[in-house]
Amino acid sequence: MSRIGVFVCHCGENISRTVDVERVAQAAARLPGVAYATDYKYMCSDPGQSLLKKAIAEHNLDGVVVAACSPRMHEKTFRKAAEATGLNPFVCEMANIREHCSWVHEDREEATAKAIDIVKLMAARVRRNRRLAAITVPVTKRALVIGGGIAGIQAALDIADAGHEVVLVEREPSIGGHMAQLSETFPTLDCSQCIMTPKMVDVANHPKITLHTYSEIEEVGGYIGNFQVTVRKKARSVDMAKCTGCGVCMAKCPQKKIPNAFDKDMGTRPAIYVPFPQAVPNTPVIDRENCTYFKSGKCGVCAKVCGPCAVDYTQQDELVTEQIGAIVVATGFDLYSIEPKPADSPIQGYGEFGYGTIPDVIDGMTFERLASASGPTGGKILRPSDGKEPKEVVFIQCVGSRAREKGISYCSKICCMYTAKHTMLYKHKVHDGQAYVFFMDARTPGKNYDEFWRRAIEEEEAVYIRGMVSRLYQKGDKVVVMGSDISVGIQVEIEADLVVLATAVQARKGADTLAQKLGISYDKYNFYSEAHAKLKPVECATAGIYLAGACQGPKDIPDTVSQASAAAAKVMTLFAKDQLEREPIVARVNERFCAACFACKKVCPYGAVEEKEIRDRQGNLIRVVASVNPGVCGGCGTCQATCPSKSVELDGYTDEQVMAMIEAL
Amino acid sequence: MKNILNYSYYPGCSLHASAQEYEASTRGLFKALKIGLHEVPDWFCCGATPAHNVDELLSLALCAKNLSLAENVAGDLAVACAACFSRLKTTQHRLIDNDAKRQQVEKAIDGPVPLGKKVKHLLEILARDYGLERLQSAVQKPLAGLKVACYYGCLLTRPPEVPELDDCEAPTIMEEVLKATGAEPVSWSHRMECCGANFTLSRPGVVLKLSGDILASAKAAGADCIMVACPLCHGNLDIRQGGIEQASGTRFDLPVFYITQLLALACGVSTERLGLESMIVSPMPLLREKSLL
Repeated sequence: MSRIGVFVCHCGENISRTVDVERVAQAAARLPGVAYATDYKYMCSDPGQSLLKKAIAEHNLDGVVVAACSPRMHEKTFRKAAEATGLNPFVCEMANIREHCSWVHEDREEATAKAIDIVKLMAARVRRNRRLAAITVPVTKRALVIGGGIAGIQAALDIADAGHEVVLVEREPSIGGHMAQLSETFPTLDCSQCIMTPKMVDVANHPKITLHTYSEIEEVGGYIGNFQVTVRKKARSVDMAKCTGCGVCMAKCPQKKIPNAFDKDMGTRPAIYVPFPQAVPNTPVIDRENCTYFKSGKCGVCAKVCGPCAVDYTQQDELVTEQIGAIVVATGFDLYSIEPKPADSPIQGYGEFGYGTIPDVIDGMTFERLASASGPTGGKILRPSDGKEPKEVVFIQCVGSRAREKGISYCSKICCMYTAKHTMLYKHKVHDGQAYVFFMDARTPGKNYDEFWRRAIEEEEAVYIRGMVSRLYQKGDKVVVMGSDISVGIQVEIEADLVVLATAVQARKGADTLAQKLGISYDKYNFYSEAHAKLKPVECATAGIYLAGACQGPKDIPDTVSQASAAAAKVMTLFAKDQLEREPIVARVNERFCAACFACKKVCPYGAVEEKEIRDRQGNLIRVVASVNPGVCGGCGTCQATCPSKSVELDGYTDEQVMAMIEAL
Repeated sequence: MKNILNYSYYPGCSLHASAQEYEASTRGLFKALKIGLHEVPDWFCCGATPAHNVDELLSLALCAKNLSLAENVAGDLAVACAACFSRLKTTQHRLIDNDAKRQQVEKAIDGPVPLGKKVKHLLEILARDYGLERLQSAVQKPLAGLKVACYYGCLLTRPPEVPELDDCEAPTIMEEVLKATGAEPVSWSHRMECCGANFTLSRPGVVLKLSGDILASAKAAGADCIMVACPLCHGNLDIRQGGIEQASGTRFDLPVFYITQLLALACGVSTERLGLESMIVSPMPLLREKSLL
């Protein structure tokens, strides 16, 4: 490019306060290859863009440098403007003199000199830019949703209702997730099962949804629009096609003493079971670890009593490969437990609460099961130790959350509200009971949330004590709660019949392993990272993968559903096109010089480098070289830095360009 | 005879004053176990609670100087008093990552602070260095039938990042050491609660309540006696016990032993060297009843 235009932006006062923009434009005008340079108050505004377009036409410009903010902010804006004049968009570049200069410096002289240098660099680069063409890749219009809780269900239904095929993969034998375990939901106290189970049935009946339950993601390959996902369908030991869900096998199973995880181990279940009566699909699974037949070869009762002969002890795990265009990750959360943790764990348990050894100290989910009409007590609040109705219940918030000394500094977001709900459910069921809540502060930002919390105190007579609990111990049949009331500065001791801990929301166990399979990033707590905290809240940095629900961070049901629908909308946007267009900033291999050492393949974080065979016309193999799949390449340039023979280069960042930029200084 | 292990030893002020029985029994026990204790020459007060309440630099400098004196004696530094142990460890912890503060302290004591000198509480030495098995085989007179409430107090394990002795809120080291003697630790609720500490002089009412709760809880758990590792806790539970009984109208009659007293008794150290006579709540009726005298 030999007729470059440089446009220096004031960004209101953001840049011009520290950088003498006029001087930058004057200096730019003297640079080699620059035919025109000017400055303007707001380059991104409509008049600013018009100025740019007009200058390109009037001065016959063939390259553009906009000296303004970060390319992350407005590169697209200016490339679009340049393209409108007929220019190739990839000869338009940003010189970042705001984030990299005016915002971080105070001295006007030095900042101006640095801004001129930054413009010099970019002008040198644009001089050697090639006119690139956007890369197109085909899109498989089929979505994978990982996780069948409320987040996954909502995302799957939205995408399927838009007419696209969805594959929903759930690890447990039934979809439903945590929400299926809840009794009633805040802030309206509607029954969780009543609003959840119809959605579960919708998933099962939807012609566009393929449901893989009792299944896990084995392997993920490919890239946006073109993923290949292998799903491991674990052996259910029951033929789903034959089973009618009559339940005779479960009724006749002689092994009925297995703790029921769905009821937080309070009740028991047989070895052949569905997790709960409203399970979808309503097909039992044999828990092989606890099944007498699988342990000793004797029994076989379920097979004998099964009318349609659906029980199949010989079933094996099955691997299914699905072609997928976009992935929604909705794997949910686990609850923190106060039990002792391994010595090397960054997260600690609560020795002061007895490390989980006091039977009448339970967590919030256990309370949900006690309060649930379908729970082990039929909805009666009865404490685990002796089945008596507790008359004094102490709820403790922020157990594990906001507890830096235990290794978790974040707020779990949902506990203030569900604890308020628990005090109400308790009062509705035990009229002469008294609920106490120890809390640091009540966080109730949500529609009708604060009103709900106030209702717990003002109408349902929960006593809120602002302070923490230092110790819990068993005294006779009571649990003594030693705490402080910091609003009056006194020590408090309550002899409770039951203590309910609002334990922290944590990432799922194994969340990191799944993230590694998907190639998405996660934070130090293993919550999945969104691409931008504010502007890309449901996208992963990895293209084509989206997040929904608590796998990204603690979230309540309304937020989860919103995020799931947002993720679904993103998938639909992707599926709206037949071909995907993406930036051509990708690596290219010079096949003539490639020495086939494949160092690039080893270092490529995107798995974009493939081995390509070069054959003569007779089909004889001549040699093998590296080849970059432009659909997968992330444009990071690691291969370019690694290649010993300098035969791979990133478009827009070629060695020639980078050297020219260095020389320009 | 040659010692199996050797330590430099920082007794602290209490062990030369109100807790002489702790000192005597520690000496007696360690001699019986063939563990050498070599007292740091010219040691002085660690500053205890008053120093760090008044001036952080003063409290750090006092401990730093004592640590530097301890460098003159070979071996890890053995400490009996929970408070001295806490102050010495806190000083090291505070200075290890804080160069500015360390230089300030080094200027004050006119020399380097030995941050690498290992400070160990007696419990750590007995349970880890000497070992529970060896301890068990050193027992000559098992304390069979004696039910003991092991009382940790505040400072042995807290704050979690400083002492690194055991689990901060649910430790077991005292119970493990005690079990080696054949005595039976009781399971009780108040082993980690504060006794009221220094309030014993300024606001005795606080101590009557807090130490009273501890005694009541130990009694309710069926303990015959309490075992402690801190002279101040000992003072509050033993010396104040009569006052607590008067105030609460409850009779506890719980002798309060130092860890070393019970261990020395089990390891056959002569009862005359255990300072039993200086305990306010006399242990004699209990020891006679259990045939341990």
